[in-house]
Amino acid sequence: MPSLLGNIFKSWSDYSKGNEEGGFHKYEHMYAMAIDLNKCTGCNACSTACYAENNLAWVGEERFGARQAMNWMRVERYFDEPNIGNETSDSLDHGASFLPMMCQHCSAAPCEPVCPVAATYHTVDGLNAQIYNRCIGSRYCANNCPIRVRNFNFYDNAQTAWPAPMDQGLNPDITVRSKGVMEKCTFCIQRIRGASDTAKREGREIQDGDIQTACQQTCPTSAITFGDLLDETSKISKAWKRQQVELGVYKQNKENPEMRGYRVYEELNIDTKVLYLERVREV
Amino acid sequence: MSEQEHLTHEQTRDIDENIAWAKINKDVLKSMENPRAGYWVALVGCMLLFSVMIFAEVWQYNYGMGDALLNTSHMWDLYISTFVFWIGMSHSGTLLSAILHLVHADWRKPIYRFAEAMTTFSLMTAGIFPVIHLGRVWNFYWVMPYMSDRGIWPNFRSPLIWDAFAITSYLTSSVLFLYIGMIPDLAICRDSATGWRKTLYTFMSLGWRGDDAQWRNFRFTYLMIACFLIPLAVSVHSIVAMDFAMALMPGWHVTSFPPYFVAGALYSGCAAIISLFIALRYFFKFEEYMTMPILDKVCKLTFVIAMFWTYLNLIEFASVWYGHDVPAKEVLLAKAFGPYSPFFWSMVVFGSVLPFSLLSKCVRRNMKIMMTVSLLLNVGMFLERWMIVTPTLSLGYHPQAFNVMWPGWVEWAMVGGSFGWFGMLFLIFVKVFPCVSMYEVKEMVYHRKRHAEADEDAMIVLHTGVPGPKKSQETGGA
Amino acid sequence: MSGSTTTSIRKTKRVLGLFSDFDQAFNVITDIKHYKVPGISVDDVTLKSPIEHPEIEEVLGERKCHVPKFSFVGGLVGFCFTFLFLASAQANFLAQPQGGKPVITIPSNIVLAYEMLILFGVLSTLTGFVLGARLMRKPKGLYDTAITVDQIGIVVEVSDDEIQPLKAAFKMHNVLEVHEESLT
Repeated sequence: MPSLLGNIFKSWSDYSKGNEEGGFHKYEHMYAMAIDLNKCTGCNACSTACYAENNLAWVGEERFGARQAMNWMRVERYFDEPNIGNETSDSLDHGASFLPMMCQHCSAAPCEPVCPVAATYHTVDGLNAQIYNRCIGSRYCANNCPIRVRNFNFYDNAQTAWPAPMDQGLNPDITVRSKGVMEKCTFCIQRIRGASDTAKREGREIQDGDIQTACQQTCPTSAITFGDLLDETSKISKAWKRQQVELGVYKQNKENPEMRGYRVYEELNIDTKVLYLERVREV
Repeated sequence: MSEQEHLTHEQTRDIDENIAWAKINKDVLKSMENPRAGYWVALVGCMLLFSVMIFAEVWQYNYGMGDALLNTSHMWDLYISTFVFWIGMSHSGTLLSAILHLVHADWRKPIYRFAEAMTTFSLMTAGIFPVIHLGRVWNFYWVMPYMSDRGIWPNFRSPLIWDAFAITSYLTSSVLFLYIGMIPDLAICRDSATGWRKTLYTFMSLGWRGDDAQWRNFRFTYLMIACFLIPLAVSVHSIVAMDFAMALMPGWHVTSFPPYFVAGALYSGCAAIISLFIALRYFFKFEEYMTMPILDKVCKLTFVIAMFWTYLNLIEFASVWYGHDVPAKEVLLAKAFGPYSPFFWSMVVFGSVLPFSLLSKCVRRNMKIMMTVSLLLNVGMFLERWMIVTPTLSLGYHPQAFNVMWPGWVEWAMVGGSFGWFGMLFLIFVKVFPCVSMYEVKEMVYHRKRHAEADEDAMIVLHTGVPGPKKSQETGGA
Repeated sequence: MSGSTTTSIRKTKRVLGLFSDFDQAFNVITDIKHYKVPGISVDDVTLKSPIEHPEIEEVLGERKCHVPKFSFVGGLVGFCFTFLFLASAQANFLAQPQGGKPVITIPSNIVLAYEMLILFGVLSTLTGFVLGARLMRKPKGLYDTAITVDQIGIVVEVSDDEIQPLKAAFKMHNVLEVHEESLT
C-alpha cells in the first residue's frame, strides 16, 4: 500500500507529462525502419519471410478473399489514376507502384489507448507490442488503426494451417496464436530479444547490424533498413537524418523539398516509425 | 370490444378521477394473473428467438468470429451497432421516471413503471453485446479493475473501460430505482397474494407498512436517485458515443457525437415506449390506465425529440461537410451514394420524415397505425446505428482496406436473438410484478380530484361570493 | 417514535384507527396536536397511508430525514476513492511508457470517478433509505391490509387511561375500525 500511493507522489511530475512536454518516455532503444521504394520490386519475398518467421497461419483462398488473412506484412499495389482501365499498353508500365505495409510502430499509437485490457502497449524499446495472452479480442485497436495492419484470428487457425508434418516447421521462438486474439508485426521481437541476450552474455552493448528482421534479411534488393534511432551512428539514424525526417512531429521541416523520405499518415500525428523513400520514375 | 372502441375515442382526460382505489388494486393485481392469449404467444415467440441467439453464440464460441463474416476492416459491424441501439433504448425509461418526476408531470405515473423496466432490460440486453463480440469471450472479466497477484490492471484510458464502468453503474442504479419505486406496490401485492407470490412479495417489500417515516424517507430517496440518474443517463450515452468519437476514424471522430447519441437514445426509447404501451394495453386490458391522452402526450414528446435528433443529425453532416476533411467527407458521401445508401435513405425516411405523421390526431389515436409507426421509427434508429458503424469501417483512411461487407448469419442471429431476450425478460417482469404503479395512480387520482374541487370552489366563490363546501367527503373513494 | 415523551406513565397499549379519508385522519392528528386529547402528544402518533402525504408534516411536525446526507457522503467518497484508486493503479502499471501520453490520465480518471460517484451515491442513498425507513427489520405493531388499499391508519401508543379519550376523538372523526394490542 505505501508503494501504491508513494509512486504517485514520488513521480507525479513524470506521470502527468503529456506528449507536448516529451511525455513519459525513458526509452532505451527506438527501433525504426526505412524502406526504399526505388529498390522495391514488389516480389513479396518479405511477406513470405514474415509467414515463415512469425508462424503466420495461412487461411486458404476463400478466407483470404473474405479479408480474413493473417498477413502481417503485405505488399500493396497502387495504380496511377489516369491509367486505370486505359487500353494502351504502357498503362502498366506507368501505373503500378508497390508499398510494403506493416505495423508502423507509431510512437503515439492510436491502438494503445483504446485497448480495454492494455494488451497492446509501448515497450522501452520504442516498440508497439501486443501481449497475446492478455488480449480478449475486443478488436477496438484494429478499428482505430488507420492503416489496418492488425490481423485478428477469426478462426482457430492453429488447428488448420499446419497439417501433420508442417507443424515441425514452426518457429520455436514465437507462439502460435489461438482464436480470438489480435496479432500484428512485432519488428521480429524474438530476434531483438535474442540479439540483446547475446550482447548481454558477451558483456557488450547491442550494436548496429546485430538485429535483422526477417523481411530485411530476405529482401533481394536490400530495400529495407532496420536499426536503433537512438544510436547516432547506426545506418537507420543516418538514413533518417539524410532524408531530414524526424520523430515527434506531424509536419517535417525539410530544407530540401526534393528529399524522398516521408512517413505515412503524418497529418494524423500518430508518429510512425517507418520511413518510406518515395519512388522516382521517368514521366 | 365495442367498449374498448368507445374508450379509445371518448377518452379526453388522462385518467378518470372518480375511479375507486380498490378498483385500481383489483385491476392491476388481476393483470398479473390472466393476460390475454396474445401474451403467451409473444412470450413463446421471444423464447424461440432467444434460443436462436444461444445457438449462434455456441457456434461462435466454438468456431471463432469468422462466420459472422467480420474481416480485417470490419471488426465490429452489427455487434456494436446493436449494442448502441439497446443502450439507446434504455434512456427513455429514465426520461419518463426521473426527468418527468422532477418537473412534476403526473401523467407519467401510469406508464413509467414499464418504461423503467424497459430501461433495465434493454441495458441487460445491451450489456450482452460487448461481451459476446469479444474474440475470447471467456476472459471478459479482465476488463474489471480487480486486484490481481500479478499487478495487472485494465487500461483506464480505453472508452471500452468507461463503457464497462458506466453500464455497471447505470444497470445497478436503474434496477435499484425500479425496485425502490416498486416497494409500496410490492406491499400491496403482499397483502393480497397467496402461495409463492406471497413469499416473494413479503421478502421484496422489505416490511413496508406505509408509515409516515417510511414515506418521508421514500420521497427523499426517490428524489435523490432521480437526481443521480439523469446525469448518469446522459453520461452513459455520451460515453458510448465516445467509443466512436475518441477514435480517429473518419466519420467517427465527430465532436457532436455525444449529444447526438443522447438525442437518438431518447428518440428510440420513446418509440419503444409507444410500442410497449400499445402491447401492454392490449395484453392486460389496461384501457383505463394507459389512456389515449397519455399516449397522445408520449407521441408529442416523441415528435419533439425526433426533430431534435434530426437537427443534430444535420449538424453532424454539416460540420463534416464544411470541415473539408477529405476522408470524412468521402465517408459521408459514401453513406448517401455508396453501397449502403438504401439503408441510409431508409434511416432518413423512418427517422426524420415519418415522425411528421405524429402531428396528425387520427394517427395518434389509431392503435394499429401507431404500433406500425413506432416500430418503423425504431427500425430507422437501428439503421442509424448501423450507418454510424459500418460505412466508416468500409472506408476509413487506407485505400488498401476499402471494402464492402454484409453481415453473416451469426450476426443476424445475435441481433434477432437480442430482441427475444429483451422481450422474454420484459414479458416475465410484467407478469410477476405490477407494471402499472398502483400507489402512484392513486396519488394522481387523489391530487387531480383535489385540484378539480379547488377549482370548483373557486368558481363558486367567484360567482356567488359564498365559499363552497370545503372538501368533498368522498375524497379517496372507498 | 415515542422518544420524546417525558411522562412517567408507561405506554401499555397500541391503538390503530382506520379512516376512509385522509382529511379525517388529518383532523384527528390536528386535535391531538392542539391537546384536545388529554395525555397524548403528536410524537406518539404514526400515520400509515396508502399514498404519500407530504402535507401531514403540517401537523406531525418536520421529522428528520437523513437520506440526502447519505447521498452526499456516498457520492463524495465514490469520487475521491475511485480517483485515487485509478491513479494508484496507473502509477503501478508494469509498462510505463504510454506512447508519449501521461501515465496518470486525469481526464479519463475523472470520467470514471464521475460514474463511480453516481454508483456509490445511489448505493449509499439506498442504505440511508433502508436505515431511515426501518426496512428489513421484523415488522412490529398493528397493521391492517386495508391500508394498502384505500384506508388511512393512525397508530398511537397510549397508557391505560388515555385509551378512552383517544377512541372518542377517533369516533368524532368517523373512524371505521379500531384495533388495539398491548405492548409487552
